[in-house]
Amino acid sequence: MRKVLGAVTALLLALGVATFIGLPGATAQGGTGTIEADVKYNGAPQVEKLKVNKDTEKCGTEAVIEKVVVGGNKGLTNAVVSVPGAKGGGGKAVKGMIDQHGCKFVPHVVVMSPGDLEIKNSDDILHNIHTYSTANPSINKAQPKFKKVMTEKLEKPEYVKVTCDVHSWMLGWVAVTPGPASVTDKDGVAKIENVPVGKQTVEVWHETLGKQTKEVDVKAGQATKVSFEMKK
Amino acid sequence: MADIRFGIVAAALVSLPGLAWAQAGDANAGKAVYERKCLLCHGEKGDGKGPAAELLDPKPRDFTSGIYKIRTTATKAPTDQDLFRVVSEGMPGTSMPAWAVLSEKDRWNVVAYVKSFAADKFKEAPKKQELPKDVASSADSIKRGKEMFEAIECNKCHGTEGRADGPSREELKDEWGHPIKPANLTKRWTFRGGAGRTDIATRLAAGVLGTPMPAFIDSVEKPEDIWHLTHYIQSLGPESPGYATLITVTAVTDAIVDDPNADFWKKMAPQNVGLMGQVIQDPRNFNPSIDMVAVRAAWNDKEIAFHLTWDDPTESKPDAAKKLYADAIQLQFPPKVDAGGERPYFLMGNDNDGVYLLRWEQGKGALEATANGPTKINAVTGSEASGKAVYQNGQYRVVIKRARVGREDRTTFQPGVFTPVAFQAWDGGAGETGTKMSLTSWYYLRLEEPQSNRRFVIPPVVALLTLAAMVLVVRVANRRS
Repeated sequence: MRKVLGAVTALLLALGVATFIGLPGATAQGGTGTIEADVKYNGAPQVEKLKVNKDTEKCGTEAVIEKVVVGGNKGLTNAVVSVPGAKGGGGKAVKGMIDQHGCKFVPHVVVMSPGDLEIKNSDDILHNIHTYSTANPSINKAQPKFKKVMTEKLEKPEYVKVTCDVHSWMLGWVAVTPGPASVTDKDGVAKIENVPVGKQTVEVWHETLGKQTKEVDVKAGQATKVSFEMKK
Repeated sequence: MADIRFGIVAAALVSLPGLAWAQAGDANAGKAVYERKCLLCHGEKGDGKGPAAELLDPKPRDFTSGIYKIRTTATKAPTDQDLFRVVSEGMPGTSMPAWAVLSEKDRWNVVAYVKSFAADKFKEAPKKQELPKDVASSADSIKRGKEMFEAIECNKCHGTEGRADGPSREELKDEWGHPIKPANLTKRWTFRGGAGRTDIATRLAAGVLGTPMPAFIDSVEKPEDIWHLTHYIQSLGPESPGYATLITVTAVTDAIVDDPNADFWKKMAPQNVGLMGQVIQDPRNFNPSIDMVAVRAAWNDKEIAFHLTWDDPTESKPDAAKKLYADAIQLQFPPKVDAGGERPYFLMGNDNDGVYLLRWEQGKGALEATANGPTKINAVTGSEASGKAVYQNGQYRVVIKRARVGREDRTTFQPGVFTPVAFQAWDGGAGETGTKMSLTSWYYLRLEEPQSNRRFVIPPVVALLTLAAMVLVVRVANRRS
């Protein structure tokens, strides 16, 4: 009896929580679904290598600049898949975090909601955060070894290039997106959760290969598959 | 009604002279001035692509970007006053001259016109870059500045001793992807935004927009470190080059030391000589790397030696395939000093009238040579010049020594004679070779007359004799009374 009561309570609680979470995202159709994007690239990877002449104990002796990374089954890594139109669609705001580690921006592509970007320096040497943007104010701030964390505001949707002038090979991107978004993994797959049900435009963006969009119909509680083939 | 009244009051306030003076420029009037004075470099559209732009380094400003290096604001756009100052005073170390020849009104009008190329960038009200509480310069402040200089790794671009030779130098690019050089902190007079304390502190705090130089206001340990850094930077070099007009060769009685780092040379004050790019003969050098050489010189009965110091960001490893050549410097003299003041052509002579050279070249050392023009240099067989060079932290120091009396057509150096001298230098790492050089026109060299020790003997003797005479006079007078 107790077990049954407990189960019922848990069920009721779960339902309540679910309803509660679902509220802000509730659309005409109600509920959210998932998008599974598959991004392919039928070209060769573009990787540049550079001999490092300083800070080799932190940066290593060879820097690798990965402009196009192609993984298993022609999957394109580091592409941002987003649903820009689905503002506040069920998902929580994602705070951005980028780390300068081993003279690399980690991760190479950060996805964040408009707001704060936390910038870390784990290298114990000087870096400078230099952003190239038009919608947001561009930033060029020094981050010496003793300044472990800085916070900057990126409030407008934009793909922002981030560099470090001290180590010219360092290159990162920050995707500020109002809607839910994700970055493709080594196989070119990205999963976006909490997408409001209904017709949605999916945007895929890559630093070298540009942008593409596709329309999808998101169904409640289901995964909608969409595939892209990026071209040069 | 109230609105109209407010409008009139506002209009009156704006038009009050002095109050809104900075905004008083008239863009339409400025256009006419711009087209006469600025267009050649900055272009008709203000995009920095005027007909002369190609030859300039750094490149002329692209006004359509609204990005300006020199600003006293924490926001992106500079104030009108910032722009007015750059127009009026120019940008040291660049091709931008001071336009003080224009009337103030014309300059304000030009400021208004230049802003109109990126009007949307000036919409936001400028916010002043506040500086931390002022700290007076002192030995302690300079010491703290050095600590901070090392902690925040200014050396990465500016070099350990500030000579723009840091390891990141070659990688630096500006906003437009053009290669850009870091500032040589030992040459304050070339600072783009001025060499004053507040200028330097403001650049440190707010950064230099469009360049790799970041803002440091939030990136020092304590806010007042901005001032300590400023004082340390000021301690790295003189306020001005104080260019010499005449090169003095110090007379010495003891041997002349070969080692460029010896105290023998350190005790002598440097005589700075400014160098220009060679732009007469093709291929020309519009953007020379070496802009100054500091000269020290000494002579005794037997020898004469020149100690030359100049900044060069790289000790070149010559490799013709990579357009890297040997670094070199030379002193040029007429083979015979003409009493009538006739001198060979300053650009290394010509076919009729050659010059004599004391040259130092990386890998070859000091040598004697003659030339009949910049492409006709001949090493003298049996060269008797000797010398030593050191390269350290972005600077060469070289001693070139030779017998004072020259054989045959090799210049003899006589005290009391004004000997013509000129200088030429090559930064092989910057692709300089042949006619691509920095040079001077003719200067004069004077060997200081040897001073005998008599000056230390005679005046005291005279003083003693005078004293004795006075005592005698007093005594005689006393006796008589």
